[in-house]
Amino acid sequence: MPHLIAISGPSGSGKTTWISQFLKAQSTPQFYVCPGLGEISVDLARIGYRFPWVQVIPEAQLKAVLADLPEQATVYFEWGFHLDLGSSFLAGLPCQRIAVLPPDLAQSEWHAWADQVVVGNPVAAPANGHLPEIWCTPLTGQVFDPPSLDALLIELTGGAYGQVQRMKGIFEMPSGQAFYVDFVEVLPGMEYTELNIPPWLGGRPSRFSGIEVVGWGLEQEAIAQTLIDGCLSDAALAQYHQHYQALDPTLDPVEEPLRV
Amino acid sequence: MKLAVMSCIHGNYEALNAVLSDIDAQKADQIYCLGDLVGYGPHPNAVVEMIRSLDIPTCQGCWDEDIVEGLNACECSYPSQLAEKRGHLAHEWTNRAIHPEVREYLASLPMTLRQDNLCFVHGSPNSQHEYLLPSMDGFTALERVLSTEADVLFCGHTHVPYVRDLANGCLQVRVLHPDGVEREHQFSTPLKRIINVGSVGEPRHGRPNATYVLYDTDTAQVVLREVSYDYERTCADIIAKGLPLIFAWRLARGLEFAERADDPSHICQR
Repeated sequence: MPHLIAISGPSGSGKTTWISQFLKAQSTPQFYVCPGLGEISVDLARIGYRFPWVQVIPEAQLKAVLADLPEQATVYFEWGFHLDLGSSFLAGLPCQRIAVLPPDLAQSEWHAWADQVVVGNPVAAPANGHLPEIWCTPLTGQVFDPPSLDALLIELTGGAYGQVQRMKGIFEMPSGQAFYVDFVEVLPGMEYTELNIPPWLGGRPSRFSGIEVVGWGLEQEAIAQTLIDGCLSDAALAQYHQHYQALDPTLDPVEEPLRV
Repeated sequence: MKLAVMSCIHGNYEALNAVLSDIDAQKADQIYCLGDLVGYGPHPNAVVEMIRSLDIPTCQGCWDEDIVEGLNACECSYPSQLAEKRGHLAHEWTNRAIHPEVREYLASLPMTLRQDNLCFVHGSPNSQHEYLLPSMDGFTALERVLSTEADVLFCGHTHVPYVRDLANGCLQVRVLHPDGVEREHQFSTPLKRIINVGSVGEPRHGRPNATYVLYDTDTAQVVLREVSYDYERTCADIIAKGLPLIFAWRLARGLEFAERADDPSHICQR
């Protein structure tokens, strides 16, 4: 019988990190679901890029996939902080419930819901139901001027556009590399991880990239404009690609996108 | 004689007022200004009016020149595409806001000022746009001072104050003469000094405070002054006047609004 595991907790508590430790194993079929953000899910894309053997399930295909799971399958449902723990979908799911919670959180609706509590990052849990807002946007096809991206991430996580509790994104670079960037307000610094996917040097990438921001008082228009201002024009991108191909002529300019 | 030397006011009237009050309290005999009266900040006309009314000898900064001549930045000006867009927005805003008589005044400013063995420039003696970074190659730094025939070169432009002594200056050059013979020449120079006075209105040292320098011509003593002021008022004016909002956030943290130089080996092409 397939093993279903639902994981929930506050933003930045470490849900995806907790799941990732199990996704390294390839002995049985594994599935990953992250409902709530439709097609614009950084986690869904990141898991797909990092663990290509894991089947990431877009929301639209969820019912069909669940109806036809292999016997040995393990399915991880990452249930975001903004989703209702009492939803009929979750209630009807015969699953193990894991809550990844900050160490000083003694009582919460997650405690009442979970079969098991895992201690995660010391993030602030939403107080009195005052949930932070989520802003996300796909950036597929956009390639960033690296110092501009650095500047805007410093501003964004430093509070220039509202108080940011959590930010994660996948960003394309003119070198053809893509980076996963992760910020949690209570943790030091920002984590940059190069994704292990082929460099994209043939025009604008058609594989997924995007950003999710969680916080309070987010100035969404200003964030969007700053992102746009940091993206390269067609001409600048072509110039970069030419430069990198000249440095390494073995690089294939046209890459097939990974399906996530 | 006690000199007060300031630079890079950038339309920040609050900061200028605070610095002038501090200079007054320090009982300086003479004030010099190294330019960049306008650009980025919300009160370019008021700053120029104040400088003119006090008859402060001032040399032309890169922003003052750009407002007169139009933008023509070298690649060293902006650290990113984002910064360049913001810089252009600030230039367009200032260009619209500036009064005709202020533009005329900026056009009339000299590139350099002299007093005895002291020389005053905005960026470097070569250009208002060239950065004399503290980590600049010693030979180039010494060449810049020697070209002025002064002992002390006061500059701004980097917005981060520093004092650099160029002691035991010794230049060796090899000249290939038309007859095919190569001859070596050696020159030694007495102590030369570069004093960067920081910025009044757009600090880049991690705090919103204004900086300037006091210099005693009798003892050659340099005192770096850091002056706090009501920067939140300037932030509010940046927002009210329609400048990029991010400038207010960056001012409060002592970060550059747009321009910044990182490469000490870069020779400005402007």
